[in-house]
Amino acid sequence: MGILLGGLYAVIALGLSLVFGVVKEMNIAHGDFVILGSYIAYSALTSFGIDPIISLVIGVPLLFVIGFAVQKYLLNRTYRVSADATLIMTFGISIILQNTFQLIWSPMSMGLSTPYSMESLIIGPIRVPLVYFLNFLVAVIVMVVISEFLKRSYLGCAIRAAAQNRKAANLMGINTYRIYAFTFAIAMALAAIAGVFLGLTFPFTPVSGTSFLIIAFGVVVLGGLGSIIGTFIGGIFFGLAQTLGGYFFGITAQMLVAYVMVLLALVVIPRGIFGR
Amino acid sequence: MKLAVRRLRLSFISVIILIAILALSPIINVPKYLILYLFLFFIYLSMANMWNLLAGYSGLISLCPAAFIGLAGYTLTIATWLGYAWYWGILLGGIVAALFAILISYPVFRMKGIYFAIATLIVPQILRFIFSLWKPVGEKVYGGGAGYIIKGIADVSQSQLYWISLVIGVGSILLVRYILRSKLGLGLAAIRDNDASAASSGVDVLKLKVSSFAISAFLTGIAGATYYVYSGYIEPVSGFGIQWLIAIMLATVIGGIGTEAGPIIGTIIYVFLSFLLTRYSNISLLIQGVILVVIMSLAPKGIIGFIHDTRTYLSLLQFFTKRCEWCRAKIHKVS
Amino acid sequence: MSEDILLSVNHINVFHGSFQALWDISLAVKTGEIVAIIGANRAGKSTLLDTISGLAHPASGSVEFDGKDISSTEPFDIVDLGISQVPEGREIFPDMTVFENLKIGSYNHKARTKRAQNLQLVYQLFPTLEERKSQLAKTLSGGEQQMLAIGRGLMSDPKLLLLDEMSLGLAPIIINELYKVLRKIREMGITILFVEQNVRLSLKQADRAYVIETGRVVLSGKASELREEEKVKKAYFGT
Repeated sequence: MGILLGGLYAVIALGLSLVFGVVKEMNIAHGDFVILGSYIAYSALTSFGIDPIISLVIGVPLLFVIGFAVQKYLLNRTYRVSADATLIMTFGISIILQNTFQLIWSPMSMGLSTPYSMESLIIGPIRVPLVYFLNFLVAVIVMVVISEFLKRSYLGCAIRAAAQNRKAANLMGINTYRIYAFTFAIAMALAAIAGVFLGLTFPFTPVSGTSFLIIAFGVVVLGGLGSIIGTFIGGIFFGLAQTLGGYFFGITAQMLVAYVMVLLALVVIPRGIFGR
Repeated sequence: MKLAVRRLRLSFISVIILIAILALSPIINVPKYLILYLFLFFIYLSMANMWNLLAGYSGLISLCPAAFIGLAGYTLTIATWLGYAWYWGILLGGIVAALFAILISYPVFRMKGIYFAIATLIVPQILRFIFSLWKPVGEKVYGGGAGYIIKGIADVSQSQLYWISLVIGVGSILLVRYILRSKLGLGLAAIRDNDASAASSGVDVLKLKVSSFAISAFLTGIAGATYYVYSGYIEPVSGFGIQWLIAIMLATVIGGIGTEAGPIIGTIIYVFLSFLLTRYSNISLLIQGVILVVIMSLAPKGIIGFIHDTRTYLSLLQFFTKRCEWCRAKIHKVS
Repeated sequence: MSEDILLSVNHINVFHGSFQALWDISLAVKTGEIVAIIGANRAGKSTLLDTISGLAHPASGSVEFDGKDISSTEPFDIVDLGISQVPEGREIFPDMTVFENLKIGSYNHKARTKRAQNLQLVYQLFPTLEERKSQLAKTLSGGEQQMLAIGRGLMSDPKLLLLDEMSLGLAPIIINELYKVLRKIREMGITILFVEQNVRLSLKQADRAYVIETGRVVLSGKASELREEEKVKKAYFGT
């Protein structure tokens, strides 16, 4: 079951990995953007009765545009100053997002409840919630789509080029500012998808973003920068470890276990297993 | 030469006079809210200076000042519950914070830049968890939260607290000044530019990092503990909360990260801002976030950095237009 | 004012932060020429090329290409206009195949339409690249990487090709081969401006040359004349 959960973590982490690997920026607000996706789906559900997965039709383009704008107008300025400046900037964005959530949607815990979100399948002696399967399925689909996109399309090629050598990419006629904006936009679209499935799986609050950022970061560190497969495996590892931790230490300690694991991962592997 | 000495003496004297005025403020009937402002100013100033030492001068963006503040606050609480005087509690708080810093130094300094930052983000979260579940003293608190009232502070006066904050605040300025001009400061600057080349030049990178981390933790902890004597109550969300980081970051960044005067100017503005925002407490943090984003977009080097840049730009401009009368006239109009 | 001046650099001053790298530099390149910029290490040669290709911008003075002022144009737009730089140290994309590296070279829209054509051309000039087209670029030898870098530069269909220290770290045989290819490239109608530390080599290959020392042009003229010039002889050839 932890393995299936890992699929969700992988999707959450993929956007972070993309931005970190290509633009070399650490987006502290990533988790909050994922939660933004959750909240958008929530509003779609409660105000218009649209099923969360269907609401992705709205959520994904919306977050794509927001992501593009954020990179273009805010982050494109700071990465030229220093990496620290970007860190501080994304921190500021995180604060803005978290407090906006609190204002618009109240500090209470929310969840996306649909008829199927409560369903479980019985496999042998264990009950596995249906959403966990969905998470895994979506994770696999997303991984494949992104992989192919990066490999085949010109834009994908350009993104990879910009990731490997910024100066040379510029000399190839690649508008790195625009490419970075696209990359961030794609990462945010991924966040939208992650957000919907997160909302179906867990309850969330305005400050959940930080928790998921930390987990996503752990996944990226374990799986290695720039490797999609690595991110997938990292996600699975985390899902597994957290579920096991919950089993041994109790549900309340689950997050704590996750945090400690991320710290350990950071200490032991500063560069990631599959990364460069 | 004589002029320089005279100038130095003049600025030195004016600083002494300023400090004297500030010190005497409670006695000479300065209004209460101003004393409160100055109190908070000094508390935040020391924290900002210490954060600036790490982030601005050593290239270590630490996202865990809340860890030191919370730990110091809880140490203070435990100390007072065990019957010790509050001022010992404050001192002890600083020491515990410093020890904690040293403890986590070895694993944490293995990481560079961004990894270090995220690690320091996690630490206060973990501490918050721990202190929500663990009740160090007293009987079980019913219901949620692990908040504690701080004992033995009923007879502490505003003035006493104010003077302590004054000492801490001025102390932080002097400390930063001293460190920057010492061997430690030189080493830190080298580390900020390039870890590896600093190491090969004989700088004991780890020792310097640990030292500055511990010093920063100590003063931050003392300031935090003093704050909690003033507040009288502590709980995990407040002690280890992210609002400390936001406050400290803003205070430093507005003025100018990596400059000596930056935190001072920034804190003056920040405390003033927080006073303004008390009326709008529900959107206070939101506005702080917006200000942070705006500052990083328009003037990432803060007020001091902005002035510095403009001056450099102007003098460059002047150099090139030496030959051009028309340009010179234009410049004179601008500046 | 000769009609066929393709590139002209006029009295530029370029800074790295507060350090001035180039002082009042002017040069011109006519269509179809091979021009060399010679100088010792840290003389400012790379900065000069970077300023032409848009990676750096002059604080004063101007750079004109094909009649347009490109002083403040971004590098990716300059590629569109027809300048392609083969950077110092090759700067290939290590985790992409040879083919992908070349494909990315024709990223800009004008070059994309001629991609197949240019690819054939590059394979003709550098048969080794065709052999290794599915190999990851980081597995190539130094000489092959340089070939790849040049090929990549050609894929953007340039009018002017800039080469920064092409011969760095390569064996003389390979260097010779590469310069032969450069002559073929010139025959295809592409103008060449290259930067070299090796004086003898540059003066042999180029039509004209500029000598740069600590950010200033100290000598310029036809390569054949410079070879005779006393100063050059003494300073670089040691006679």
